[in-house]
Amino acid sequence: MLEARDLTISYNDRVAVSNVTLTLSAGEITTLVGPNGAGKSTLLRSLNGQVSRTSGAVLLDGQPIEKYSRRAIGRRVAVVAQEAELRFPVTVLEFVLGGRFAWGPNSGWGWETERDLVVAAEVLAETELTELSGRLMNELSGGERQRAVLARALATEASFLLLDEPTANLDLAHQAMLLNLVRNRCDARQTAALVVTHDLNLAAQFADNVLLMKDGKAVRSGRPHEVLTPELLSRVFDIEVLVDAHPITGAPRVTPLAVPRTGEIK
Amino acid sequence: MTVALSDPAGVIAMRRDRVTLRKTVVSCALLAVTLLLAVILLSLVGSEQLPVRSSLCALLSLGTSPCGLSQDQFDILFQIRLPRIVLAAAVGGSLATAGASYQSLLRNPLAEPYLLGISNGAAVGTMVALVFFGASEWSRPVLAFAGSLLATLAVYRLARGRAGATPERLILAGVIVTTFLSSVIVFVTTLMDATRIRSFTFWLLGDLSGTSKTLLPVTIAIAVIGAVALTLNARSLNLLMLGERDAFDLGVEVGRVRIVVFVVASLLVGSSVAASGSVGYVGLVVPHLARLSLGSDNRISIPAAALGGALFVIVADTVARTVIAPRELPVGAITALIGAPLFIYLLKRA
Repeated sequence: MLEARDLTISYNDRVAVSNVTLTLSAGEITTLVGPNGAGKSTLLRSLNGQVSRTSGAVLLDGQPIEKYSRRAIGRRVAVVAQEAELRFPVTVLEFVLGGRFAWGPNSGWGWETERDLVVAAEVLAETELTELSGRLMNELSGGERQRAVLARALATEASFLLLDEPTANLDLAHQAMLLNLVRNRCDARQTAALVVTHDLNLAAQFADNVLLMKDGKAVRSGRPHEVLTPELLSRVFDIEVLVDAHPITGAPRVTPLAVPRTGEIK
Repeated sequence: MTVALSDPAGVIAMRRDRVTLRKTVVSCALLAVTLLLAVILLSLVGSEQLPVRSSLCALLSLGTSPCGLSQDQFDILFQIRLPRIVLAAAVGGSLATAGASYQSLLRNPLAEPYLLGISNGAAVGTMVALVFFGASEWSRPVLAFAGSLLATLAVYRLARGRAGATPERLILAGVIVTTFLSSVIVFVTTLMDATRIRSFTFWLLGDLSGTSKTLLPVTIAIAVIGAVALTLNARSLNLLMLGERDAFDLGVEVGRVRIVVFVVASLLVGSSVAASGSVGYVGLVVPHLARLSLGSDNRISIPAAALGGALFVIVADTVARTVIAPRELPVGAITALIGAPLFIYLLKRA
């Protein structure tokens, strides 16, 4: 289990995350939503120890995350960020094998084992990248590249996936495809995922739980229909919204009503 | 095409999409053999014509038999040419290894000890040693190392803006450190007597003629140990090459690897500059060729760059000492002649 307990993170005198408690449980997808600057990414980054806490705790299987080595965390918690700019030509396979780093020996030349290759072959098949494994990363389309980033995270065999706006640069079909891959992994291996997203409808559709944040504080957490209510959303986003049920899935569907003018956004 | 999960055939098919240990060992062995041949053959080339047969015989006997060479010829071969060629190899290997590691760590294909001002830092250290501790030969590499480490840290700090180090910012930081240290070099030069200034200007451009018997083994040892140490961090560097944050997420101890690379690369640059001045662009040309022909995986490109760098500087120095014989060119002039156009090409493509 990966959890944040009464977590507070401040930079200088600015409080980015304030007293947030969050639990990621096996097999469940939690989405983290809220306005820009709500502290979503900071919270996500604290869950693998990259951002250090001011007070409270991040617990990985009951132990403070600071007690684990980088490799140990790398084997348990994987991050999917938006793709970084690549300045060197790397094949898709080499990129994905990067996910096996934490399983390698602590010292030495560090060549991949047969097991590393089997896992890479599996995740390439899972993300439908097998045929592209020899292509260079910078030759791929945006959707393919983001899938490779996910494949690398899956190759770590981590029990916890942290996805930071994984669908930000993707079109409709690719957004759904990516989150489906995450859903499948969570179902198949009891992996827990935390997804930071701005897309409330996507959040509603794929999430078991939603955590709504504003100004570093947790406003509400619960099932999608408990959190994505018109009252809460209007208050948090300062915009009138209509929430009805998705005609097919029944998940809450959020439609913004009035578009605020500049100056009205607080 | 689908890959059955337990089918090893799928795994075997992936061999061509990545660098394997086998490919690395074969490539490096080929480079090592070429290097050895180059050492032997190029030691026969020079302003003094040596009898080819006898020289080869003497070389293959490892200097135990003169094979009919006169004492003068024997000394030219074993006291002048061979030490110089071996020094060229050590310097080339050191600079190329340092360049390849800086490029991966700083995520910048243009990072190079000479262009970043790190060689100039080492040069200042060496000159300070010569001016103030002239009697002690050991002070040169020690202060050169200190100088290159300080220059490395200065460039790194200057290049790191709020948005991280962009390639342009890093090169600009390098320019600033280079020009600043050039002024320091000019200043220190004025403290020297006039007769030495000419040989110093020559040395600054890279000069392999002043091989020191005491320091040669040290330069070789540092080149070898440095290349091995950085190769053992190659897998971490592979991830750092893709971004510091990604590397951290995947389990790399970013801070530790950064310190190892800074210290080891500074040691490599310091020992080469103390021995031969600033031979520029080796750290740019050679790693680039290594990546172009063998791929970006540092586990192959670092050792290949080490061997290729040795080969490159041996050849460049042979040109430098023969093209206007009996006079000599600084080897740095030859390497810059090849390296500067490549830098422009890489900059345009970046």
